[in-house]
Amino acid sequence: MSNQNRFDVIVVGGGHAGTEAALASARAGASTLLLTQNIETLGQMSCNPAIGGIGKSHLVKEIDALGGAMAIAADRAGIHFRVLNSRKGPAVRATRAQADRQLYRVAIRHIVENQHGLSLFQQSVDDLHIENGRVTGVLTNMGLSFHAPTVVLTVGTFLGGLIHVGMDKQAGGRAGDAPSNALADRLRELPFTVDRLKTGTPPRIDGRSVDFSDLEEQPGDEPRPTMSYLSSLADHPKQVSCHITHTSEKTHDIIRGGLDRSPLYSGEIEGIGPRYCPSIEDKVVRFSDKNSHQIFIEPEGLGTHELYPNGISTSLPYDVQVNLVRSIEGFENAHITRPGYAIEYDYFEPRELQPSLETRHVAGLYFAGQINGTTGYEEAAAQGLVAGLNAARQSQGKEPWCPKRSEAYIGVLIDDLITMGTREPYRMFTSRAEYRLILRQDNADRRLTEMGRELGIVSEDRWTRFCEKRNRIDQLSDEMRGRFVQPGNAGIEALLGQALTREYSLHDLAKRPEVKVSELLSTIGHEKLPDHVTEQVEIDSKYQGYIVRQLDEIARIKAQQDFPLPLDLDYAVIHGLSNEVVQKLNQVKPSSLGQAGRISGVTPAAVSILLVHLKKQGKIPVRQSA
Amino acid sequence: MPYIKDTIAARATPSGRGGIGIIRVSGPGVTQIGRQILGAMPAPRLATYSEFSDGKGVIDQGIALYFNAPNSFTGEEVLELQGHGGPVVLEMLLNRVVNLGARIAGPGEFSQRAYLNEKIDLTQAEAVADLINSSTEAAARGAVRSLQGEFSTRINALVSQVVALRVFVEASIDFPEEEIDFLSDDRIALQLAEVFRELEAVLHETNQGALLIEGASVVLMGKPNAGKSSLMNLLTGRDTSIVTDIPGTTRDVVNETLQLDGIPLRLVDTAGIRDSLDKIEAEGVKRALAAGEQADLVIAVVDASEPDAPKQAESLMDDPRTVVVFNKIDLVTNTDRFIDAIHMSAKTGVGLHSLKDQLKERLGLSLHVGSGFTARKRHIVALGYGKDALAAASTLLTEQRAGELVAEELRVCQQHLAEITGEFTADDLLGEIFGSFCIGK
Ligand SMILES: Cc1cc2nc3c(=O)[nH]c(=O)nc-3n(C[C@H](O)[C@H](O)[C@H](O)COP(=O)(O)OP(=O)(O)OC[C@H]3O[C@@H](n4cnc5c(N)ncnc54)[C@H](O)[C@@H]3O)c2cc1C
Ligand SMILES: Nc1nc2c(ncn2[C@@H]2O[C@H](COP(=O)(O)OP(=O)(O)OP(=O)(O)O)[C@@H](O)[C@H]2O)c(=O)[nH]1
Ligand SMILES: [Mg+2]
Repeated sequence: MSNQNRFDVIVVGGGHAGTEAALASARAGASTLLLTQNIETLGQMSCNPAIGGIGKSHLVKEIDALGGAMAIAADRAGIHFRVLNSRKGPAVRATRAQADRQLYRVAIRHIVENQHGLSLFQQSVDDLHIENGRVTGVLTNMGLSFHAPTVVLTVGTFLGGLIHVGMDKQAGGRAGDAPSNALADRLRELPFTVDRLKTGTPPRIDGRSVDFSDLEEQPGDEPRPTMSYLSSLADHPKQVSCHITHTSEKTHDIIRGGLDRSPLYSGEIEGIGPRYCPSIEDKVVRFSDKNSHQIFIEPEGLGTHELYPNGISTSLPYDVQVNLVRSIEGFENAHITRPGYAIEYDYFEPRELQPSLETRHVAGLYFAGQINGTTGYEEAAAQGLVAGLNAARQSQGKEPWCPKRSEAYIGVLIDDLITMGTREPYRMFTSRAEYRLILRQDNADRRLTEMGRELGIVSEDRWTRFCEKRNRIDQLSDEMRGRFVQPGNAGIEALLGQALTREYSLHDLAKRPEVKVSELLSTIGHEKLPDHVTEQVEIDSKYQGYIVRQLDEIARIKAQQDFPLPLDLDYAVIHGLSNEVVQKLNQVKPSSLGQAGRISGVTPAAVSILLVHLKKQGKIPVRQSA
Repeated sequence: MPYIKDTIAARATPSGRGGIGIIRVSGPGVTQIGRQILGAMPAPRLATYSEFSDGKGVIDQGIALYFNAPNSFTGEEVLELQGHGGPVVLEMLLNRVVNLGARIAGPGEFSQRAYLNEKIDLTQAEAVADLINSSTEAAARGAVRSLQGEFSTRINALVSQVVALRVFVEASIDFPEEEIDFLSDDRIALQLAEVFRELEAVLHETNQGALLIEGASVVLMGKPNAGKSSLMNLLTGRDTSIVTDIPGTTRDVVNETLQLDGIPLRLVDTAGIRDSLDKIEAEGVKRALAAGEQADLVIAVVDASEPDAPKQAESLMDDPRTVVVFNKIDLVTNTDRFIDAIHMSAKTGVGLHSLKDQLKERLGLSLHVGSGFTARKRHIVALGYGKDALAAASTLLTEQRAGELVAEELRVCQQHLAEITGEFTADDLLGEIFGSFCIGK
C-alpha cells in the first residue's frame, strides 16, 4: 500500500464509527483510506469500558452478522460477561462485556491493519473539498490533499469539543485529545443545521485505594456468553469480577453543597445531555426522595489498577468530586486518577440525512456516529458500517443498502434518526423496536448474514459456518414437524409431567412454554446437537404465533411502506396539505411513504393526499384486478 | 401497488332510523366476506335478495350487490349490503364485516381508491384531496363529539393505566439493573385485571349505545335577539329554550335531540355572539364559539329587520358548514335584498320547510363521508382489539410469566387505544419511564 492520494472512499476519524466504516468499505471492495488524528487511539473507548447491553448487543450482533469487527474485538478484550434479562425471554435478552480498554484497542487495530484494501494514515482533517455540491476529497492539517468521490465523516465528540470540570472549561475532543475546530468551523459554513449536545464521564479511581471487603461482588455469568457468532470461550482473556456500592445521604449533601459551582446548574452548559445517562448531580436533584443510588465498580483492564465507577458521571468541581467519592462505601480513602468531566460538542440535524447516511446537502458525503446525535460505541459502529458500505457502493455505481425497521435494529436506529431527529443524545432501547420479537440478538445472523454475503462484506469463513448452522436448524425444524409421539410415551410424559391425550408432533410440544428442545431430543434418544441449533428451533416454536402475526403485518403494509418518494419533491406544491405538514415533509424529505407516515404530525389523511398527488404525476400505475 | 391491499368497509348512507342503510365493502377480501354473510356470492351487478347471516342466525334481510374488479366504483371488488333494519341492525352487520377481516374505512378512502385505480377522472386530483381533507375534518369533529363527557374521561383514564403498566413492564426490560421486576410483582397482575375489567365495562356500555352521543350536531348561532331560541323551539316542537325580547337571554348551550325524517341530530342553541362585560354572558359566548367549532353544520341566524342584514350574511356565506337563515322575515316588506338564503320567520313558521330540506341535504352529504357514526364505530372496534390484547397479556403473565410477550400485548393494546386518543410514540414511553424511575448509571 503505497502513499497514493486517490481512493474510492475516505473515512475521517478512527473511533467506533470510523473503524467499522473503513472496514466495511474495504470489505465491499473499495480502495479505502482511514484518516485519524492519532493511530494510538484507534478504537478508543472514550467512556465506560463495556460493549453491549440492552438494545446495544442487538446492534453489535447485527454488525457481527454483517462481517464487522466490534463483536470479535469485544470477545478478545472481554474480561467479564453477563447475560441481561436472562429470565425474561430471548427477544429482550442481551449480552454485555466489560472490556479491557487496552486489549480492545489492540484488537481493533489488529483487524484494521490486516484488512485488505484499507490504508491507514495519521492526520487530522481540516477541510473538505467540495465541487458543485459534491465532495471530492479532504485537506489535512499538514496541507495534504486526498481525493475520493465519497467521504465518510465520523469525528465523534471532537467538533467544537468543550470540556467542563466545575466552572473551568477547556477545548478538547475528549480528555487528552485536541478538538477539531478548523473542521467544525468549515462545516458550520455549509448548509447543515448544527446544534450542541452534552455528555459526561465519571472520575476514575485507583483500585489499590479501594476497600472491597464490605462490597458486594458481582462475578460474570456462567455459562459465559460470547459476543461474536464466530468466537468461542477460548478467545476470551482472563475473567474478573465487578463490585457494587452505593451513594449515601452524605454523598447527596456534598453534591447539593457544590451545585452553585456546577456548570450544569449554573447555565454554563447549553448542550442537552442524555436522560438515561444522567450525571450524579442530576439524579440527586431530580430524584431527591431517593437516599441512595447504585454504583457498579468496573475494572478498566487486566493490566491496570484503574477502576470505572459506573453511576457517578459528574462535572462538579474537582474538590467536590474528591469529597463525593470519599463519602461512598469502600471509597473512603479512594485516590482519583482522572477527574470526571462533561463535554459539549457539535452534532448535525440527522433529519438532513438520507437512509443511506449520505447527507442531503453535499453529495458523496456521509455522516456516521456521534456527529449524528447518537451516543454509544455500538450506535456509532452500526452507523459506521452502513455509511462505509454505502460510500463504497456509491463509488462502484451501486444502489445503497438501507436496512428496514423490520429487518434490523440498525434499521430502527437510522430510521428514528432521519425521521424524528433527536433532541438528546440518542441511545438504542429494545422498546424502540416495534418488531422486537423478530429482531433478536440470537438470530441476527439468520436475519442479515445472507444479505451481507450478497453485499460482499461477509467472508468465506463466516458464510460457510453460517450455512452449516442454518442447514442444521432447518433440518431439525423439519424433523420435529414430521416426528410424532404417542400417548403412553413414558419418557415424554415424565418430561411434561402429564399424560398425553393424543398424538403430538415434537414441534407442537416445543411450543409449550416449559419444554426445552434439547431435553425433548435427549428423551427420544436423538443425537445431541449444538445449543445454537436447538435454541433457534426452540425460540422459533415458542414465538411462532407472534412472529407470524408480525410478519403478516409487515407484509400487509410493505407496498405502501416501501413506495419511494422523490428526494427533490417540493411538498409546498401539493394541493391539500396543511402548512404544518408541508414544513415537516420538506424538512425531512422522506425517502418512502412509510417514512413520511412516521413523521410526527403527518396524518394518514396527508399520506392519502400524497398518494393522490403521486398518482396525478403518473408515478403510480393502475392496479391490476384483484 | 403503493397502497395497503386490505379490505375496507363503512356505512354508505346517512345515519337514519328506519329507511335503507347500506354497508359498502371494498378490497380483496370481499368474496370471502360475502360468502360468509350471504352463503354464496351473487352474480356481479345483479341486485339479489338475500338473508344476512352472522354465522349463528339471520341479522337482517335485504339486497346484496356485487361489483367485480375492476368494474366497480373503487376499481376493486365491491360488495354493497342494503338492509332494512335500522341503525342497530346495520351496526351489527358492519360488526360482522369487520370481524370477518375488513377495516373501517378512513376518511375519503373509497374515493381515494377510486382515484388511484383511475375510476375517477385523473384531472380530479384536487377534488379528491379536498374530499379527503373535508371528510377528515368531519371525522375529527365526529370523534371529538363521540369523545365528549364521561366516555372521554373513562378512555383517558384507561389509557393512562395502560401507559403506567407499560412504563413498568418496559422499564424492567430496558433497565434490568434498576431492580424493577414486574414478573414477581403481584401488583401488576392485579392492575392488569383491573384495567381489563374497566375496558370491558366501557366496551359493554358503548355497545349498548350509552356514553356515546350519536347523530350530527347542528348549532344555532348569531347575534343576540336574532331569534335563535325561537327557531330552536320551532324545530324541536318543544319549549326548550327561553325566549324573551331582551338581548342576551340565552347564556349557556342548550341541547335537544330530534329526528329529521329519520336522521338523528342534536340541535344546539347558543348565546348570542357579542362582546360582553357580563362574566356569565362572556362565558356563554365562549361556549357558543366552541360548539360552533365542533358542529357538523351551523345555522347562522340573521335578523332580517336589521338594516345591515345582507352584509352580515355575506361574511357568513363562505363557510361550507354554514346555512344562513334570514329570520323575522315577517317584519320585512322588501325581501329582494336577501336572495341567496333561507327566508324564515320563527314567529309564523314561514320557511320551515325549506330550512328542513336544506338541513337534510347538507347533513346527508356530510354524514356520507363519515362523522359521528363512523367515529364511534372506529372507537368501538379499537376498544375491542384493545380488550383482546389485554386478555392475552393477562394469560401470558399468570400462566407463562413471559415478560416480553406481556409487553408485546400491552404495546398492541395501546396502539389500538391510540386510535381514539392520539399517537403515543416509543419516545413518549421512554419519556414516561425517565420521569417515573431514576434511571441510569
Ligand atoms: C466524556 C464522554 C462521555 C461519554 N459517555 C458515554 C456514556 O456514558 N455512554 C455511552 O454509551 N457513550 C458515551 N460516550 C460516547 C461514546 O464515547 C461515543 O458515542 C462513541 O465513542 C462515538 O463513536 P464515534 O466513532 O462517533 O466517535 P469517537 O469515538 O469520538 O471517535 C472520533 C474519532 O475521530 C477522530 N477525529 C476527530 N476529529 C478528527 C479530524 N479532524 N481528523 C481526523 N480524525 C479525527 C478522533 O481522534 C477519534 O478517533 C461518551 C463520550 C465522551 C467523550
Ligand atoms: N317578529 C318576529 N319576532 C321574532 C321572530 N323570531 C324571534 N322573534 C322575537 O325576537 C326576540 C328574541 O328572540 P330569541 O329567540 O330569544 O332570540 P335569541 O337569538 O335566542 O336571543 P339571545 O338568546 O338573547 O341571543 C323575542 O322577542 C322573539 O319573540 C320572528 O321570526 N319574527
Ligand atoms: Mg336565546
